[in-house]
Amino acid sequence: MAHQPTGITLHQESRLLEISFADDGAFSLPYEYLRVHSPSAEVKGHFPGEEILQVGKMNVGIKDVAPSGSYALQITFDDGHDSGIFTWEYLHELGSRQSEIWNAYLEKMAAAGESREPKR
Amino acid sequence: MSMNEADVQNALKNLIDPNTKKDFVSGKSVKNIKVSGNEVTLDILLGYPAKSVWAEIQTLVEGHLKATLSGVGSVKASVSSKVVPHAVQRGVKLVDGVKNIIAIASGKGGVGKSTTAVNLALALAAEGARVGVMDADIYGPSQPTMLGISGQPDSDDGKTMKPMTNHGLQVMSIGFLVDADTPMIWRGPMATQALDQLLRQTKWDNLDYLIVDLPPGTGDIQLSLAQTVPVTGSVIVTTPQDIALLDARKGLMMFEKVDVKIIGIVENMSTHICSNCGHEEHIFGAGGGEKMCAEYNVEFLGGLPLDIRIREQSDAGTPTVVAEPDSNLTKVYKQIARRVAVKIADMAQDHSAVFPKIVVKNT
Repeated sequence: MAHQPTGITLHQESRLLEISFADDGAFSLPYEYLRVHSPSAEVKGHFPGEEILQVGKMNVGIKDVAPSGSYALQITFDDGHDSGIFTWEYLHELGSRQSEIWNAYLEKMAAAGESREPKR
Repeated sequence: MSMNEADVQNALKNLIDPNTKKDFVSGKSVKNIKVSGNEVTLDILLGYPAKSVWAEIQTLVEGHLKATLSGVGSVKASVSSKVVPHAVQRGVKLVDGVKNIIAIASGKGGVGKSTTAVNLALALAAEGARVGVMDADIYGPSQPTMLGISGQPDSDDGKTMKPMTNHGLQVMSIGFLVDADTPMIWRGPMATQALDQLLRQTKWDNLDYLIVDLPPGTGDIQLSLAQTVPVTGSVIVTTPQDIALLDARKGLMMFEKVDVKIIGIVENMSTHICSNCGHEEHIFGAGGGEKMCAEYNVEFLGGLPLDIRIREQSDAGTPTVVAEPDSNLTKVYKQIARRVAVKIADMAQDHSAVFPKIVVKNT
């Protein structure tokens, strides 16, 4: 049990999930950032190299969050994606390496010629 | 000089409970101190079932007070036990009628999980607790045989089942619902659903502890138990040989990954005792369980010999703790059971790892 969160707040208007940890730090994670980095096999694939780039999720919302055991959070996004189980460890990583991970995502998206804008 | 309640409290701060290794005051066991003249009465309420040591603790407390309080006349301590429910993660539905859930697991099959589970359950019951056993081994249920129960559970309302009972335990197993020869040829989702039904559609009657006998491995059943069931803690059973320890490690790591507390490790088949000559031999190697405990910083709960009686009695439906209540084997099981119960009582007071509060705001 490395990282134990003490509080989780969903800001539905600004689409930010705020999470604070007992040991180190608090992070503000945009819903889009969480959605495109969902740990689900639908996003990560079953093996490295199988990742599917998630695009057009700029305005994604969160419908529901449910605890999974005492170790993780299952997030239901309003685009129907609900199979990602975000462990405390993973949320902490997403928080502490936010800019690095986010920039890598933007680069990948640019390389693929895709956009954050929702597709019509 | 006249005594008051504070003197009694202070005196007990220096007396260590041999089971919890904590003094009685910080263990919050001391209740209801009354002093009148030079007579003292008090209640000692233990957080773990311990019928067999009540008298011992009474003597300990009374003797200590007599020795340390000057001018004391008679001292009367009444000892009893009350198991408190463990705080569980928010959002996970509690199981009706169950205070604590203990999962008995191992990485490898055949190390004696079910035998250990049933004897631990009986040992806790013998100490005065209300105990249930749930057989989560959907593919190979063994509790019906080990507890000598056959037949099908009744239902009062057509929706919930009444647990079967024997030897003072409440028991539920898929083995009661299907024929002994019928294999459950199921994929994961069916098995996990069956697990959930066995747990929640059984009318458990006011249990202090529900012992869940898990199948071997780190798959569907174990994961779904960790995600959806408010497990208080888990006990890992292993044998001392390397090949079993290898798998036990994986079982332990799985619980660590999903934040289910590990109560400790039981080493089964530690030694073999020859039924002819009584010679004791470490046929699976020595010290494996203890080594693993040191490595992962978990408690070594105890070791049991490979004794033909344990196998014979379990197969015959009367496990060792009830078949030979005064044997050395039973003593070991009871000692393990007490360590488990003490650990759980400790955990009930520790709220450091409760699930965080989730707040939704329109901001």
